[in-house]
Amino acid sequence: MSIYSDISENLQRGRAKLVRQLVEQALEEGCPAAEILNEGLMPGMNVIGEKFKRNEVYVPEVLVAARAMNMGMQVLSPRLKEDGVKAAGKVCIGTVQGDLHDIGKNLVKMMMEGKGIEVVDLGTDVSPETFVQTAIDEDCRIICCSALLTTTMDVMADVVKEAEARGVRDKVKIMVGGAPVTDAFCRSIGADKYTSDAASAADAAVELLCAV
Amino acid sequence: MTNRERAMNILRRKPADRMPAVHFGYWPELLSEWARQGKIPAELAEGNYDGSEKDKELDRLIGWDFNWSNTRGPNMGLSPGFETKTLEVLPDGSRRVQSRTGVIERVKPGITSIPSEDDYILKDREGFEEQYLPKMRFTPDRVDTEYFRSFNETRPKDVPVGLFLGSVLGQIRDMTSVIGMSYLLYDEDEELFADIVDAYAEMQYRCVKAVLETGAKFDFGHYWEDICFKNGPLLSPEMFDSLCAKHYKKRNDLCREYGIDVISLDCDGVTEKLLPTWFENGVNTMFPIEVGVWGDQFGPARKKFGDGMLGVGGMDKTALRRDKAAVDAEIERMKRLSAMGGFIPCPDHRLMPGTKFELVQYYAEEIKKIRL
Repeated sequence: MSIYSDISENLQRGRAKLVRQLVEQALEEGCPAAEILNEGLMPGMNVIGEKFKRNEVYVPEVLVAARAMNMGMQVLSPRLKEDGVKAAGKVCIGTVQGDLHDIGKNLVKMMMEGKGIEVVDLGTDVSPETFVQTAIDEDCRIICCSALLTTTMDVMADVVKEAEARGVRDKVKIMVGGAPVTDAFCRSIGADKYTSDAASAADAAVELLCAV
Repeated sequence: MTNRERAMNILRRKPADRMPAVHFGYWPELLSEWARQGKIPAELAEGNYDGSEKDKELDRLIGWDFNWSNTRGPNMGLSPGFETKTLEVLPDGSRRVQSRTGVIERVKPGITSIPSEDDYILKDREGFEEQYLPKMRFTPDRVDTEYFRSFNETRPKDVPVGLFLGSVLGQIRDMTSVIGMSYLLYDEDEELFADIVDAYAEMQYRCVKAVLETGAKFDFGHYWEDICFKNGPLLSPEMFDSLCAKHYKKRNDLCREYGIDVISLDCDGVTEKLLPTWFENGVNTMFPIEVGVWGDQFGPARKKFGDGMLGVGGMDKTALRRDKAAVDAEIERMKRLSAMGGFIPCPDHRLMPGTKFELVQYYAEEIKKIRL
């Protein structure tokens, strides 16, 4: 088994410390940082994401795999920067104003990072103005809005309106998700993409980043 | 017939004159909204909780018969709970607060959303044995035996009252947070999480037993779990079964020895994958069957498990925010489900802000017209 397969397998099992050690070992052996990311860490998260979509694994498996990914990335990120490796794109993500629930938002963030996307995490209770201003300041191509509650999901419509008001609607895609959100709701507020789970959100983000 | 007789007869597949109008309470924001609109007196918007006098007064105003979530039980939580205290005030005004379960939550003034889980204490065996296990032990003072000895005389006679049976996993999830539960389940000490579940379940079993031994009689038993979400369970069904099945069986067998044959379980989200564990181990009543927001369903469960699977809930509460046509469509759907027997329609969770008072009155009136 190559060290990349080893990294991928252990990431899927959530063995965070071991993944970190293996990434360190791979770097010591002279493996390029981008190769470790593209052939070790990302394939591992992709497998977990696909299994999550098919209900073959559940939230705990995703969380422990993401933790392992993060441990690996802590070692790898400085080397990726040194090597000038660029992310697949940049998005900003947050839970909308009035809502403090962040598990779903964090899962999406982890899955997107697992696809090599740079994610600006705005946290929870994020105003429409902050979403849009961040997209402008940080040159994010996608705004991702999460909501747990039926009482807060309407803020997503305000994010769309704010992007229009600031004149950036044609430059930024808006993705929505969360417990009460549906594809019909997404269309009704003029957002660009709804996905039903975190892994699908990451796939959709990759597609949108390729398109814009 | 009393509403108690109606409801329990329907669930036991005996004759009933009509369907009772059953509900599952309200988000506090809705009651404030209704008070501002002049629909209800302001005092009913404050301190209104399931089964309280204010809840019953509201039932009369709206036309409900009763709230299904009306239970009595012993103290089956951490005892004593952790001290609730603010650990840190952050620059944006939000606070990091240690809750009674030991989870560190992020709360923000003016926001009533479920708090964000920031951190937790229950991370390892040392934390469990030193900080939690002493709070999970059974002690006689958990059960108010005097209250339960006179319960049969003092209890409401006209509505069903359930015995609260606790929670095999949901309350432990509240102690660890979802993230903490995930890490505990998969980290090196794989037996630790099972030990936590076992210790908590044993205490709850002894509490339930102590209540039943007082001679108090209940119409149904009732669990709270909330261990599912939009896409299904928060952990694998196999792991859930391995951790929890034996505890449901032991507690439910005990209930049946004392004549409790209807055992409901409150779990939000899509519950389908966990139903086998619950049903095969004595839980026979789905509640609240969140069809509107999450797409949970009673019909497929009845088809899969047969007539022994009962239900309370399943009415898309979001229709009550829309219009009469949407409510009528739900009533028609409720009629079809009710005709299967062993099913009582009830809004599929607490009524939320934006719900129209007159539509709720209309629904309650119409549902009572269902004849069985």
